[in-house]
Amino acid sequence: MLEYQNLFTRVQVRTTADPGLPIDETFGRRYGTGVFSYWAGKFGDSQIGPIYLGFWGIVSLLCGFIAFEIIGLNMMYQVGWSPIELVRQLPWLALEPPSPEYGIRIPPLMKGGWYLIAGFFLSVAVITWWIRTYTRARALGMGTHLAWAFGSAIFLFSTFFFQPLLVGSFSEMVPFGLLAHLDWTSAFSIRYGNLYYNPFHALSIVFLYGSVLLFAMHAATILAVSRLGGEREIEQITDRGTAAERSALFWRWTMGWNATMESIHRWAWWFATLVTFTGGIGILLTGTVVDNWYLWAVKHGVAPTYPAQNVLTQEQLEALRGQYPSALNRGYPTYTMPAPATTMPDSTAAAAPAPGGM
Amino acid sequence: MMRTLTRAAFGVTLLAISGCQFFKSEERVVVQKGHRGTAMEINYVARDVNTAMNDLAQKMPAILPPASESSPPAQWQNVQVLNDISVTEFNRTMLSFSTWVGGNPNNCAYCHNIANFAADTYPDGKAIYTKAVARRMIQMTRNINSEWTEHVANTGVTCYTCHMGKPLPNGLWFYTNENQILRHYLDGAGARVVSQTVAPSNANRSSVKQTEWTYALMISQSTALGVNCTFCHNSRQFSSWEQAPPQRVTAFAGIQMLRDLNTNYLAPLAPVYHPSRLGPMGDAPKAQCLTCHNGVNKPLYGYPMAKHYPALWGTHTDWVTPAAPAYTKPPVAMTDSAAAVTMDSAAMAAPVAPTTPPTTPPVR
Repeated sequence: MLEYQNLFTRVQVRTTADPGLPIDETFGRRYGTGVFSYWAGKFGDSQIGPIYLGFWGIVSLLCGFIAFEIIGLNMMYQVGWSPIELVRQLPWLALEPPSPEYGIRIPPLMKGGWYLIAGFFLSVAVITWWIRTYTRARALGMGTHLAWAFGSAIFLFSTFFFQPLLVGSFSEMVPFGLLAHLDWTSAFSIRYGNLYYNPFHALSIVFLYGSVLLFAMHAATILAVSRLGGEREIEQITDRGTAAERSALFWRWTMGWNATMESIHRWAWWFATLVTFTGGIGILLTGTVVDNWYLWAVKHGVAPTYPAQNVLTQEQLEALRGQYPSALNRGYPTYTMPAPATTMPDSTAAAAPAPGGM
Repeated sequence: MMRTLTRAAFGVTLLAISGCQFFKSEERVVVQKGHRGTAMEINYVARDVNTAMNDLAQKMPAILPPASESSPPAQWQNVQVLNDISVTEFNRTMLSFSTWVGGNPNNCAYCHNIANFAADTYPDGKAIYTKAVARRMIQMTRNINSEWTEHVANTGVTCYTCHMGKPLPNGLWFYTNENQILRHYLDGAGARVVSQTVAPSNANRSSVKQTEWTYALMISQSTALGVNCTFCHNSRQFSSWEQAPPQRVTAFAGIQMLRDLNTNYLAPLAPVYHPSRLGPMGDAPKAQCLTCHNGVNKPLYGYPMAKHYPALWGTHTDWVTPAAPAYTKPPVAMTDSAAAVTMDSAAMAAPVAPTTPPTTPPVR
């Protein structure tokens, strides 16, 4: 079957693996000579390796492994060291942050200490991986756009440590667990009066969905004009050809305006980077500046009002409001000694048994 | 040709999927519960509810014929409760108890020494713990029906509401670890975690973790009643009573009721039970929403069973005031919480319960 071939060809080349540029190997070297994979070639380049780890890469992998082990061994402990139970209960298992009563003090190991240690090693792993993306980009003479985009994600990650620090409770931190961290997002939103009313959360969602939309629009546009040389999009920034003209014209026809071969990549970079950057700002403001985003939205006329759903009087409302668990030192749940037992006396001795009596 | 076939197959699949959805949606009932646009609705499959109701109707014991009114007041021996009703009503009620709790009307021996029904002990002298518990349960039932109308309205409850023909009702719970969410039904602390002000203040230091405990508690209620969050809340602001449906007030009364029942009736029975009935920490079985509701927002689908049984109604001031044997506190490290002082106190110095690996699946 005839197939049109261009730079986006699906033909896989088999030759000597390309080791890449010569580099300064003082701090690390490349491992392997490169192998070819048919299935890797289906999704990207068919060559795998050689891989460069270097000092930061090794530190990162080591710290990541330590964090993974601490989390995994704690989960194993929670299921009584049973591998079968670990697999069965894995979605619900979690290494939990310290309990509320510890505030920002260091708790015992089994009371959240392991959590903080795992969090420390995970953070070191992420930060050293960032250093790796930065130094590798520099070593190749590239810009550091990737490192700064990744840095934005790390900024959001870091707010899950700094926000608890600011509000004075490590128990705010995200548990390490599959469903546990999802439950945390619900609980965080509910605790702070519905995060959907947090404008920075809203911005983050706009950029997130916007990124998806831009990604789809850009990928579709370039694939659609690749038969006209559109896959050479970077060349077309300076040497605009018919592919660039037609794709620009398409968007001008359909939405009245178009990005350019150059600007669309800046659009994508900024949208992606702002997802986590605005999100992180939203987290930092929560519990520190605003404690109830719904009430904030009511105050500023953002949230619509609906008719009351019940006929409670103001006094009844006050009575129903309840109390904060944090009014007590251990927080909720607490325990009140039940009233003394009130069982019946055994009066058999007093009452003479009678046949047929009940 | 191949492409056409592929497209046709794709189209047929789409039709099939949407067709299934269409037929399913025919029996799905959605009831709007809140103001339009708030997505507050009850969503259920009518056929499933009908099936469940029919199953219950098949299973539920028949209401016994009413007792004659002319029957004289009873002169019993060692009858400490239910001594304010007639002989025939008493016998009728006892038969019903046997069916509701013991599974059949002939199971007198579950609570009685059948050689001497008045005795509180077996022939070998051992106490009949089930009889002592049953007495307290009868008092509890009357307490619910007369004092907790905010929750049970005029429908009331019978033994069957919870027991459903079994000695042990569903949803009984024991202490397992210090953060067990169901302790809320025994203690006086609030579950409220959302601030009533825009700005943070020291009035509310609730953490996300405490919110998760409240969340888990709420989900246990949601599951017990077979309803979603918006049955009682406008989920855009869970804490708002103004925007909450009236059901939330009923549920709130239910929590107060559970605290009353657990504190004054169920937990204090710990010394009475046979040890095999106690929890791993030596505490008595306690109730939660699921115990009565059994997955339905109105127990027994709202069937007013209790109205046929006058023995379950009325105050009981004339009954013997029970003595108060020593109550053994469950051996759980709660001293730090019982101290109930401020956040900055010597919480660190307080003894902490040893962490034990849970052997049961985590609360979902």
